[in-house]
Amino acid sequence: MTGYFLRRLLLIIPTFIGITLLVFAITRVVPGGPIERMMTQAALQQGDQRAARTRSGNTLDEKQLAQLRAYYGFDKPLLSSYGQWLWRVLHLDLGNSTRYHDPVWSLIKERFPVSIFYGITTLLITYGICIPLGMAKAVRHGSWFDNVSSIAVFFGYAVPGYVVGIALITIFASQLDWFPLGGFVDDDFDTYSFGKKIIDLLYHAALPLTAYLASSFALTTLMMKNALMDNLATDYMRTAIAKGQSFDGAVRHHALRNSLIPIATSFGNNISLLLGGSFLIETIFNIDGIGLLGFESVLERDYPVVMGILVISALLFLLGNILSDICVALVDPRIRFGET
Amino acid sequence: MRWFKFNPIRLNPITRRRWSRFRSIKRGYFSALLLGVLIVISLSAELLVSNRALIVHYQGHWYFPTYGAVLSGKTFGLDYDYETDYKALQQIFAQNKSVGDWLLMPPIPYSAYETDLAGNDFPPLAPSLRHWLGTDTTGRDVAARLLYGFRIAIAFSVALLLFEYLIGISIGCLMGYWGGVFDLIFQRLIEVWSNIPTLYVIMIVASIVPPGFWTLLLIMIAFSWTNMTWYMRTASYRENTRDYVLAARAIGASGPRIIFRHILPNSISTVVTFVPFSVAAGVTALTALDYLGFGLPAPTPSWGELLKQGTDNLESPWIVSSVVIAMTLVLMLVTFIGEAIREAFDPKTFRIYE
Repeated sequence: MTGYFLRRLLLIIPTFIGITLLVFAITRVVPGGPIERMMTQAALQQGDQRAARTRSGNTLDEKQLAQLRAYYGFDKPLLSSYGQWLWRVLHLDLGNSTRYHDPVWSLIKERFPVSIFYGITTLLITYGICIPLGMAKAVRHGSWFDNVSSIAVFFGYAVPGYVVGIALITIFASQLDWFPLGGFVDDDFDTYSFGKKIIDLLYHAALPLTAYLASSFALTTLMMKNALMDNLATDYMRTAIAKGQSFDGAVRHHALRNSLIPIATSFGNNISLLLGGSFLIETIFNIDGIGLLGFESVLERDYPVVMGILVISALLFLLGNILSDICVALVDPRIRFGET
Repeated sequence: MRWFKFNPIRLNPITRRRWSRFRSIKRGYFSALLLGVLIVISLSAELLVSNRALIVHYQGHWYFPTYGAVLSGKTFGLDYDYETDYKALQQIFAQNKSVGDWLLMPPIPYSAYETDLAGNDFPPLAPSLRHWLGTDTTGRDVAARLLYGFRIAIAFSVALLLFEYLIGISIGCLMGYWGGVFDLIFQRLIEVWSNIPTLYVIMIVASIVPPGFWTLLLIMIAFSWTNMTWYMRTASYRENTRDYVLAARAIGASGPRIIFRHILPNSISTVVTFVPFSVAAGVTALTALDYLGFGLPAPTPSWGELLKQGTDNLESPWIVSSVVIAMTLVLMLVTFIGEAIREAFDPKTFRIYE
């Protein structure tokens, strides 16, 4: 099995190259890339509005342009400039943002705490609530408790997180004014005492967290409930109860572990959520996380940042898939990957 | 000599049993009926929401302007050549009752593109008898844009679904049937393709080529056809090793015959269970793109664009609330249908041993 996972790890390399090459090629054929943007900026700085509007006025001289092209690799054919980019990535250099002129890595690093905070809290609350709730719903299938909680679950399952977010911000932030309209923390957060910091953080996090939870919570609960219901009707449960084990004990010792398998298959996806966040929810709540950074860099054609975020999210996604398989193998001893 | 054999539509017994099981799941069945009604309403939206009159009776002639060519003002004795303003015409008719001319406007007499700067207030206007759900920031009727936006969203996601399934099922089926190098190459290709952060890449592409309906559809198809391949690959792989396929091959059936007469009919029916969820995903993705400003071009009525206006103008909550309620309703209906179909295909015999 170790061999199988090693092979999976090695397969990350071609997949990673495929993904990044595709997006790299897209950003290359696009008009309005960083060079044009800089020319516009330079033109604006010189107060030559007309040149900026038509983008024809060569405010940067040819030598500067050539320098810029060389810096971004626009002077070489696609594959060789991709090679150059990849080589730099291998040396952990993601380049500089064309918008902020800061290293891409430090821009991303600055936003890690925000995304990790939301990622981990969502993860903990989701699994903390969903597994017990799914179990309770399965055991009491058809009861009023099951039916009432189903309404909430179906709502979260059907309505995407960003719509929930918009509804929440309209009701609780704009109309009732109970929560702030957005942001991660207050502006003068640094001056607060420790206790006040935590309160401020939770105060800002309440609505976006609910939006994040709405979607992941429903899916996991449904999965848990359906899996446990399948297992409750199996022969081994009948055997366990026939030999005198209590129902609760049989659920805990036999059905539960088997029902965790489908949940384990999606566990690895959390790793990309952990850092990536959702740019929709971050845009709505104006949370300065990695998602919002990615969205803004697409808008501004800040391709080094776009590619940098892609590198990180693609790696996390690919690692997450492998992690899922490892989880499945841990939960389900019958599964032997790579031994057919 | 009989040229053709009369072949009534005979559902096979499994399909019939699934259908009756689906009908017995009340929540899903009524959701399907309600969604069907909503779609029919949206398809005939011009009869309910339009700035053209339904019926005009003018000097003994009958006119039905809803569908068909533009009728200029001159037709009705007005002094302009552009399209008749039926709301103004209605008032003119009302002033000289004795003539006996009359016209009937739809329940919502505004088109989705029409700016109504009624009164002296600046838009957005709050809901009133004039605009049931209020107007958006440029004075367009929210109800009108909601209905036409629904039609476009459903049309978009159904078209997306058709192409996505066509490509996905064909390639997945061939992968399972041929296996070998073809399978291996496409497996790697699809792995790369499906690992691409779809929405992110669509945003990048859309920021370059401002898309219309068909280009956006094309981009979305390009990045979502892989969804169906894995399922179809496994299904046709499994069918391919069954005895009946071997038997068909042994008596010399050709490749296409095996695929179309044996493998596809036996593996495709389960695809139906994915359809409602694909529709929901299509609507959600289109709305998200529109919300972010990478979707359909500007004046097109769309839910995402209304959502964006709503979140930018939170002091006018009628915009946000209409869209959120409409979206919740439609997506809940679709999900209920999806769950019911899934249950009809896979009846769980639930029991507890105590």
